Amino acid sequence: MISRRQFIAAPALVGLWPKTDRKITGGFVNDSFALGHRLRDRAPFRVPAQQLRVPIVIVGGGMAGLNAGWHLDKRGFRDFVLLEMEQQGGGNSRSGENEISKFPWAAHYVPVPAKGESLARELFEELGVFRDGKWDERVLCFDPQERLFINGHWQEGIEPEDGATRKDREQYRRFVEKIGEFRATGQFTVPMERGAKPSLLDQMSIADWMTQQGFDSAPLRWYINYACRDDYGALAKDTSAWAGIQYFASREPEEKGPLTWPEGNGWIAARLIEKLKRYIRTGEGVYRVVRGGNKFRVLTERTEYVADAVIWAAPTFLAPYVIEGASHADGFQYSPWLTANLTLDRIPEQKNAEPAWDNVIYDSPALGYVNATHMSLATHVDRTVWTFYWSLAEYAPAEARRLLLAKDWNFWKEAILNDLARAHPDIRPCVAHIDIMRIGHAMARPSPGFLFSEQRERWLKPASNMFFANSDLSGFSIFEEAQYRGVEAAKGALRVVGQASPTKA
Amino acid sequence: MTIALFLSVFLIAACGLIYELIAGTLASYLLGDTVFQFSTIIGCYLFAMGIGSYLSRFLHRGLVARFVSIELMVGVVGGFSSSILFLAFAYTEAFRFILYVVVILVGTLVGLEIPLLMRILKERFQFRELVSHVLTFDYLGALGASLLFPILLVPKLGLVRSALVFGIFNAGVALWSTYLFREQIGRTHVLRMGCFVVMLLLGAGTIFADRISNAADNSLYADEVIFSRTTPYQRIVLTKWKDDLRLFLNSHLQFSSRDEYRYHEALVHPGLAALPGARHVLVLGGGDGLAVREILKYPSVENITLVDLDPEMTHLFTTHPVMSALNGHSFSNLRVHVINADAFRWLDTNTEQFDFIVADFPDPTSYALGKLFTTAFYRLAAKHLASGGLIVVQSTSPLFARQSYWCIVESVKEAGLRVYPYHVYVPSFGEWGYVIGSFAPYEPPKQLPAGLRFLSTANVGELFIFPVDMRPVPAEPNRLNDQVLVRYYEQEWKDVAH
Repeated sequence: MISRRQFIAAPALVGLWPKTDRKITGGFVNDSFALGHRLRDRAPFRVPAQQLRVPIVIVGGGMAGLNAGWHLDKRGFRDFVLLEMEQQGGGNSRSGENEISKFPWAAHYVPVPAKGESLARELFEELGVFRDGKWDERVLCFDPQERLFINGHWQEGIEPEDGATRKDREQYRRFVEKIGEFRATGQFTVPMERGAKPSLLDQMSIADWMTQQGFDSAPLRWYINYACRDDYGALAKDTSAWAGIQYFASREPEEKGPLTWPEGNGWIAARLIEKLKRYIRTGEGVYRVVRGGNKFRVLTERTEYVADAVIWAAPTFLAPYVIEGASHADGFQYSPWLTANLTLDRIPEQKNAEPAWDNVIYDSPALGYVNATHMSLATHVDRTVWTFYWSLAEYAPAEARRLLLAKDWNFWKEAILNDLARAHPDIRPCVAHIDIMRIGHAMARPSPGFLFSEQRERWLKPASNMFFANSDLSGFSIFEEAQYRGVEAAKGALRVVGQASPTKA
Repeated sequence: MTIALFLSVFLIAACGLIYELIAGTLASYLLGDTVFQFSTIIGCYLFAMGIGSYLSRFLHRGLVARFVSIELMVGVVGGFSSSILFLAFAYTEAFRFILYVVVILVGTLVGLEIPLLMRILKERFQFRELVSHVLTFDYLGALGASLLFPILLVPKLGLVRSALVFGIFNAGVALWSTYLFREQIGRTHVLRMGCFVVMLLLGAGTIFADRISNAADNSLYADEVIFSRTTPYQRIVLTKWKDDLRLFLNSHLQFSSRDEYRYHEALVHPGLAALPGARHVLVLGGGDGLAVREILKYPSVENITLVDLDPEMTHLFTTHPVMSALNGHSFSNLRVHVINADAFRWLDTNTEQFDFIVADFPDPTSYALGKLFTTAFYRLAAKHLASGGLIVVQSTSPLFARQSYWCIVESVKEAGLRVYPYHVYVPSFGEWGYVIGSFAPYEPPKQLPAGLRFLSTANVGELFIFPVDMRPVPAEPNRLNDQVLVRYYEQEWKDVAH
């Protein structure tokens, strides 16, 4: 006798059940706008119960703050704290980990530092990946580095080669030539402060400059636009020509790179956090900095720190909401970002093309994905994590931020899968989980006119014992700028405490 | 008599469908895009059958003799169809054209068969019965063929032999018809002679079938497949033709049992025989256990660790009667420890030291495999070498992939080891290369284990001499971030293939 339950189950057994898409789990992670919005809305904060005297306070545990701490510690100065509002330090270099791999949440590489970049080389030497003038092969991005999905298939490299006409190639060649000329001027350096001189190039957009120079090749313009979206979160028409040129002219690597790790720059962050753990206090968001005499009172909901010098390594736009008397950060613009980590328990069909580290889809509004297991030594990988990047550059930043908050996880999940399906039609059944991170003010935007403006330069001069260190002071957010600004701020702070208590340091 | 008649309908229907399936499968195999290939081939084939049926009206006299000759023509064209197509793919640019010509030719001939047969039989049966019976057996034949094809024919016989065997069936039906309808034909002797000639031709074809598809492409197995399995890591196929066993991994020939002793003796003994005190040996890759078989010839070796990615591979070569016999049941030896792991990662997490390391990986056909031939890999392997130890690396062919070979040598050197390149001739592979890497100066052994079939103290030194056409060429070392080897290799084997 067949039971009712079995009878009902019978259609399922023979497969007569309607076919359903695979259930994909996930949600938003690392949402951090709560504190920011409380500051913006002047919400009430708890008054700290304890007071602590610390000569130097670093506010913000991203790359700038961590490198400021690295410099202080290296110079033998141990009397400081680093306050981080999140539970995990690292800022834009945060990373995650699941049972398959570690993966980045934002910044995922550092171009191989050239000879002149002594600060970056010093840090990497200390971290053991640069020895006797040679880079550790295992942290240089493995071959194949990049690929582009164009005209229905993958090509190696992201400069569009497939379908390029003679005219396109001629313009590529001329563009490279132009960049060579700019590089030779010595004004495009990393960090930018070393060589940058006020230039008319900053007064126009890179898109206008391209037009002016007669660069009308569609694939070349796509490539330049992609570079701007990728590094600055802005379209070519919204990016300063100086910054657009800086992207290409500041680098001349001697070694095929970049430096990268499964967890991206999270690897650097984790090493620095490990070195500095006794100074770092996570979960301590600074809500007020008040000047009293020649000291600062730095307030979190737990502790009031009384400091001789403050290194402000948090984004500069937050300063006026926290620091008493600080003026509004006019001119500073930030691109919002969305990053997603997709857990794939199956690798999509590759059609003879081997997966690269960075995988870009031509004419997609998003930036493509980075494969976290690419830096694995394994020859066979059957599961992986992809980090999907989207800078929402086609919207004005404020509008993009509204969109980020307004749409639910399901909306973004569908948008991401639809974008990936252009190159991977079988993506859906491969994905088990998607975590999405929304960053409202992810990267500084080098809009035309900003880099050499009075608005930016005003923040570079230390205002009596307050040192600004965020990479946004360079007009764009990259590791080397954060490191340079952090170390410069630390040097300034050391000079102050050196005066205050000459026995220290 | 009636059954015999309809059985021939069954057979010719089966043959007709087999040729169609073979054309579709071959085209999908060779050109990809299965849906397109099958659709267009079925379409052309059915259309051609229509042409055949139409043309049948123009045949008036001597129907049986015509039927017999049509059967023979189907037998020849259909039987050799896959051979023709393989060779067309390998040696001409006109594969598609020839494919559709063959399909239309076979289709037209097959389209003639049934109308002619029905006209031949129309005197013996009522029309109602005739149509019913002929069509019933026609469709039954199609069913039989479509089941036989994927289950038995492709895996056991392969495409070349399947077509030939069914060609023989066509010729058989032709021969049989000369008996069934002997009163309706005049020149039976001539027709029967024709039948025998066609059968002989097709029979000879089946004997040379392996040469035909070998000439075309190794990936389509010419020989009887005695084992095939797709594991998460690779496709393992073992074929057998007479006493020759061949192992294919992802369609790449790994060894032929006729000459693998040359490859494996040369892989192991020049290095290991030069290390009289060697006790700990590591084999990376080599899941067939053939290198281990050679290493076990040294009583001084206390333990052999074999690291191979695929558990199914080592399991097969431990338990499968034919395969474990090949490696002398080496995996059952107590001195041997089999570990299933990714070699690079395993080495990276392990601290053991070895006197002799064998890196016997598949050729660097992809960036994934290329990692196992990088300076980073050899640097890591060198860390696991005991002082005075040696590493030997399977290094592809210095003749067909000369720059790839010297690139591997360069990579071992870049990792800080002295290099001693050598090579050997393996008939099923051609000239094959290896390189020994060591910290201390190395000299070829003065003594070798007993019972070797290829190496002797007299010829081992000669392996290190390179003729002019294999001598060093400039090559960059292969690095994780710049895998020049994969690009050299792809280019060089492409040049060999064309």
